[in-house]
Amino acid sequence: WKRDEFRNCNQTPFCKRARSRKPGFSSLIATHVSISDGDLIAKLIPRNEKDPVVNPLILTLSAYQDGVLRLKIDEDPSLDPPKKRFEVPDVIVPEFLNKKLWLQRLSEEVIGGDSGPSSVVYLSEGFEAVLRHDPFEVYVREKEGGKRVVSFNSHGLFDFEQLRVKKEGEDWEERFRSHTDTRPYGPQSISFDVSFYGADFVYGIPERATSLALKPTKGPGVEESEPYRLFNLDVFEYLHDSPFGLYGSIPFMISHGKTRGTSGFFWLNAAEMQIDVLGSGWDAEESIGLPSDRNRIDTLWMSEAGVVDAFFFVGPGPKDVVRQYTSVTGTQALPQFFATAYHQCRWNYRDEEDVAQVDLKFDEHDIPYDVLWLDIEHTDGKRYFTWDRVLFPTPEEMQKKLAAKGRHMVTIVDPHIKRDESFHLHKEATEKGYYVKEASGKDYEGWCWPGSSSYPDMLNPEIRSWWTDKFSYENYVGSTPSLYIWNDMNEPSVFNGPEVTMPRDALHYGGVEHREVHNAYGYYFHMATADGLVKRGNGKDRPFVLSRAVFPGSQRHGAIWTGDNTAEWEHLRVSVPMILTLGLSGVAFSGADVGGFFGNPEPELLVRWYQLGAYYPFFRAHAHQDTKRREPWLFGERNTELIREAIHVRYMLLPYFYTLFREANTSGVPVMRPLWMEFPADEATFSNDEAFMVGSSLLVQGIFTERAKHASVYLPSGQSWYYLSSGTTYKGGTTHKIQVSEDSIPAFQRAGTIMPRKDRFRRSSTQMANDPYTLVIALNSTQEAEGELYADDGKSFEFAQGAYLHRHFVFSDGKLTSSNVAPYASGKSQFSSGCNIERIVLLGYSGRPKSALIEPANHKADIEMGPLYLRTGSSPTVLTIRKPNVRIEDDWTIRVM
Amino acid sequence: SVPSADLLGIPPEDESYYKALSTSGAMKCKDGSKKFTKSQLNDDFCDCPDGTDEPGTSACPDGKFYCRNAGHAPLFMFSSRVNDGICDCCDGSDEYDGQVKCSNTCWEAGKVARDRLKKKIATFQEGVTLRKQEIEQAKLAIAKDEVELSKLKNEEKVLKGLVEQLKEHKEKIEKAEEKERLQKEKEEKEKKEAEEAQRKKSKDVEEVSSQGKPLESTNDDHIGLLEDSPSDKDVVEHSLDPVHELEYAERSGKDEPPINEVQEDSAKKEEDSSVAHDSGSDTNIEEKDASENTEALSKEELGRLVASRWTRDNTGQQTGEVDDGKDDRHEISEEAPDDAHDEEYEGYESESEDDSQKYNEDDEEEDHVEDFEEEKHDDFSSPYRSVSDDELDVSDITTSSSSSWLEKIQQTVRNILQAVNLFQTPVDVSEAARVRKEYDESSSKLSKIQSRISSLTKKLNQDFGPEKEFYSFYSKCFEIKQNKYVYKICPFKQASQEEGHSTTRLGNWDKFEDAYKAMLFSSGDKCWNGPDRSLKVRLRCGLKNEATDVDEPSRCEYVALLSTPVLCVEEKLKELQDKLDLMNKQQPQSHDEL
Repeated sequence: WKRDEFRNCNQTPFCKRARSRKPGFSSLIATHVSISDGDLIAKLIPRNEKDPVVNPLILTLSAYQDGVLRLKIDEDPSLDPPKKRFEVPDVIVPEFLNKKLWLQRLSEEVIGGDSGPSSVVYLSEGFEAVLRHDPFEVYVREKEGGKRVVSFNSHGLFDFEQLRVKKEGEDWEERFRSHTDTRPYGPQSISFDVSFYGADFVYGIPERATSLALKPTKGPGVEESEPYRLFNLDVFEYLHDSPFGLYGSIPFMISHGKTRGTSGFFWLNAAEMQIDVLGSGWDAEESIGLPSDRNRIDTLWMSEAGVVDAFFFVGPGPKDVVRQYTSVTGTQALPQFFATAYHQCRWNYRDEEDVAQVDLKFDEHDIPYDVLWLDIEHTDGKRYFTWDRVLFPTPEEMQKKLAAKGRHMVTIVDPHIKRDESFHLHKEATEKGYYVKEASGKDYEGWCWPGSSSYPDMLNPEIRSWWTDKFSYENYVGSTPSLYIWNDMNEPSVFNGPEVTMPRDALHYGGVEHREVHNAYGYYFHMATADGLVKRGNGKDRPFVLSRAVFPGSQRHGAIWTGDNTAEWEHLRVSVPMILTLGLSGVAFSGADVGGFFGNPEPELLVRWYQLGAYYPFFRAHAHQDTKRREPWLFGERNTELIREAIHVRYMLLPYFYTLFREANTSGVPVMRPLWMEFPADEATFSNDEAFMVGSSLLVQGIFTERAKHASVYLPSGQSWYYLSSGTTYKGGTTHKIQVSEDSIPAFQRAGTIMPRKDRFRRSSTQMANDPYTLVIALNSTQEAEGELYADDGKSFEFAQGAYLHRHFVFSDGKLTSSNVAPYASGKSQFSSGCNIERIVLLGYSGRPKSALIEPANHKADIEMGPLYLRTGSSPTVLTIRKPNVRIEDDWTIRVM
Repeated sequence: SVPSADLLGIPPEDESYYKALSTSGAMKCKDGSKKFTKSQLNDDFCDCPDGTDEPGTSACPDGKFYCRNAGHAPLFMFSSRVNDGICDCCDGSDEYDGQVKCSNTCWEAGKVARDRLKKKIATFQEGVTLRKQEIEQAKLAIAKDEVELSKLKNEEKVLKGLVEQLKEHKEKIEKAEEKERLQKEKEEKEKKEAEEAQRKKSKDVEEVSSQGKPLESTNDDHIGLLEDSPSDKDVVEHSLDPVHELEYAERSGKDEPPINEVQEDSAKKEEDSSVAHDSGSDTNIEEKDASENTEALSKEELGRLVASRWTRDNTGQQTGEVDDGKDDRHEISEEAPDDAHDEEYEGYESESEDDSQKYNEDDEEEDHVEDFEEEKHDDFSSPYRSVSDDELDVSDITTSSSSSWLEKIQQTVRNILQAVNLFQTPVDVSEAARVRKEYDESSSKLSKIQSRISSLTKKLNQDFGPEKEFYSFYSKCFEIKQNKYVYKICPFKQASQEEGHSTTRLGNWDKFEDAYKAMLFSSGDKCWNGPDRSLKVRLRCGLKNEATDVDEPSRCEYVALLSTPVLCVEEKLKELQDKLDLMNKQQPQSHDEL
């Protein structure tokens, strides 16, 4: 962490200006309010004619299905501003636009003690959007009782620096260290305040390493703190607790409170953003007449450029808000099945022999893995799409050998392209003018791994399309169908650029300045790469692309990891809130480098990391090239055993994980969830970020200290919990002191749930396809439970045409019923599975049944005591229905007798 | 023949165990946890968590599947391999559910394996003999060393006595001379007006008698930093005595290079004042300093600097191509330690030493000095440098004539001591010189013997393995070339990686590991941004002593392979033969059956 190399708010003029403004600063009022084309539109003008002359701004309010309000504020194009301000394209999914509600009318109302009117429009069942005219303010309220949910400019901090012509002698340049930003268009920042009502905490706005519940950055009792920064940067050795922004930026905030529930606010903007969470009492001196609400949380949003394109989400539940947010930016792409299994990475597996050895060792130690990764050293001089032919003379053969065991490979493709005349990619990009330009107009040159490099302008759809062709088997020589891609350094990282990135005055497609598009650069690169893999597979093979940079919508293109973390306990700890925050922001498929990228983890830390990482949505071990080798078998027999077991747990739960990925794919609800998402009324969970839920059935508590003997685990109220490795029950609604051994970290199955497992460990997930299932039924106090299973071919897009199976399991009245969640649509593709259920475990069943009757087949299965896990030495402690042998895809019932 | 379903995955030795099921109805899992019946055997449901009831299916994760592999070697596999769609057993018996069809490749594979095994056995057979010889030779050599040691200890005792006697005499003579001198001075004072010529003459005499000293003191000034200069350094004298000759050669090569070089050296030393091991980290500090001041850097320098945080590239020195990051890193990492190395590990193959040796002592055979701190006389001239230090030193001190040498010296001293009349005034100049010379020579020889004793003692204290089988390694170095590097492995001493003139220490001898199947060298030169280098040399049976492979699987942690007859142990040979017997036994009667 090199603090000096990065700008703080005070060194960032727009941030400094915005942060120093006092409430009531804005003097704009809304006029000319009308309905047009189904939207509410208005003009924003200064209240007094004495105020400095500015052009009126155009405000547009639109309502969308499911309680989404969109607010746009921009300069009036008819007044001929010097330049069109940048609106981020290709983030909002087209389906969202089809969900627009055509507003028919507005009603005027004088609200509270206001002197002037407000305009009110319909938003959704139970919610209305309000535009207060003077002072200008926008908010969402509940229809009944008029309680506010989320509001905009309630403190009058709105400011919109309009583009103008440079005056004689005016200096617009900004200098930071040795870099000069020419700022040819001058100041153009936007800032405003947003308030969340009935909120105990706010969450979201990744990516940074800090707590899940966002701490105030300004206000009484808050020591000097930077605002939360959203500016994609390659931060070397980042700190484990800092408001500083890392590789990605998602300007989406969620509030949650016991009384009101959940709401959200999203600002679609790709320029540098800074956000203050204002501590209660921050505005004590200037009392603005806001409705009294003890649990209001105020926030200040500041951005260097762009327009206001903001979305309000009404909730009211946590899952409602993420569903609403992902209806705008898209849901998680359904990964290939293999990608949800374990990944083995290192910078770098050196050559083909190394790859073969590592692969062999996994087999020798009976540890499953699905993907072996190659970092930058596999290339010919960091020219991506090439191979170092000395180290990797036969890449196809190498991949085929892995593929023969159902394994895959991932190679790295970064956006910096080596400036080497003999490199066809560089030659082509230069000739076609596909590189990002510097302010002067010539190709921008930066420094990265290959030395002097240039960066394709991924904002341009034509260039993205060109890029997708590079992944064809003909173009990417040495690639095979089992090869997938890793996009690193796409913030973009530029070693000799300001703040290790591209200068803000660099130029993109359409004259867009880099400052306007910065946070989305990596997103477009990720998108183009994923599209490339789709194209390579003729649209039949789901892509897998891991990206480090992240932006709203990244979830549609693949997985995200939390970048270059460190082998320290505190980094293990912070991985949980980081992944949870990404999940809340739509990115369900994310993970942290298991073991920590920098440094050498003690074996105990490594083992604990595997035990936690096995529950990350994206489960990959990775290490820096200077670290000692740390493949699972290198730390003695005992540690090998522990790591093997941790990985086995993941493989066992793959059917459950895959079902959750499908849920994320359809609803936006993340795989790994904060406790409060499942228990929104349980206040004790609101700031807990050491434990998390995997889906709705599984609670996991990380162990973040050395030689831990005990862990304090809060189990949410309502139901009891079954300890995952023993089946022991624990009461909910209380904190338990749980004994911890080295074997595993505490994990619990929630009473009332049914989890599908596959208990046979293969070399990779590929060989598990035909293996039989185990169902674990954790009964609640009324002897009931339910669960789901989703399965498809794990590879293709056929599922989108209905080729999947989705079962719903219900246990009640002593009877387990399997039914179809979504009946197959006729005429479309189908998926058929030959898998059976080989075992059903009943936890918490009162009574001692001897057999089960299976219908409609009308045969009996034995019920006996069996082990919860099939491991040497485990004793028969749980009721087990032995070999029911029903097909997973059929409807059936099993009656316990 | 394919076994029946009942016997699927069961090794022959367990067949009777499972047959008991037919009669007893139910039996216990091996771990005693549960009982299972005949119908539960291989019914694809795991009843025994240890896998007892499912030897032939994948139902139990901890189970083992036995492939007969007739024609090849039988094999135990993880039960997770059964019916997973991948052919693992060469007889295909692990895939029987129809997903895939596995052809039987046991005959072909078995033949290859048997041939390989036969070859290995042949190597072992020959190797075992070589190993025995090696052990015999080691025994003899150690006995010889021990004899030499005890003889040297005797000689040391005798010589010590003589040196003491000579010293006593020398001191007495010097006292007498001093007395004489004072007397002379007194006389001279009285003859104050005497001619200058007279005085000049007497001064000449004095000068001649202390010839070597001015030179030595000059050198002392220059080598002031070398605190470990031997205490016998005043024995610099031109003489034809081979011992002295050698000593001189060595010293001139080591401590006292020609004046002009010394000056160069000392200048250099001042520059990197605290030259040492950690000069690498010094570089880092500079690096850091530079990074605080990035504003002064060019764009390219800044890019390299920031990149270097993730890599171990030392940007300061990296001005060339960055194309091949891998090689660059090697180059860079080695440069810093090199200087340190040359400075600190004088005597270990530093260039200047070799050169000065060549120029000064072209005609000497023994002058190829590899001085590992105490071992001064190793001769590494063969490719594997297998000539031991014995042969060299024998000519020096312990040749067959050496006994007469000691007698001779005793006789000489006796004669001198008798001849010198201590009470004679004035002191006989030539006799005094004789005493001095004899004293110098004897004490030089004594220190020679003492150093030989200490090196022999050190050698004999090494762990040469349970049968002293690694004895000959003590005086061997093994080399292997890989790309542009030459790796040198000197057991019991150190290992290095050389590229052109630069040398990186991969480690000092640490110990044997893995029951004498590996040698460990540790605490080598520090890696930039990494651990101290280390090397593990894995040993395996081969007919020649030969380093066959070297690798750096983890940053700065090297692994080499060394084949040697020493590893060709008889037990292993038996094991291999048994294995071959088994394979042969399991061969089907005729190939046609397959």
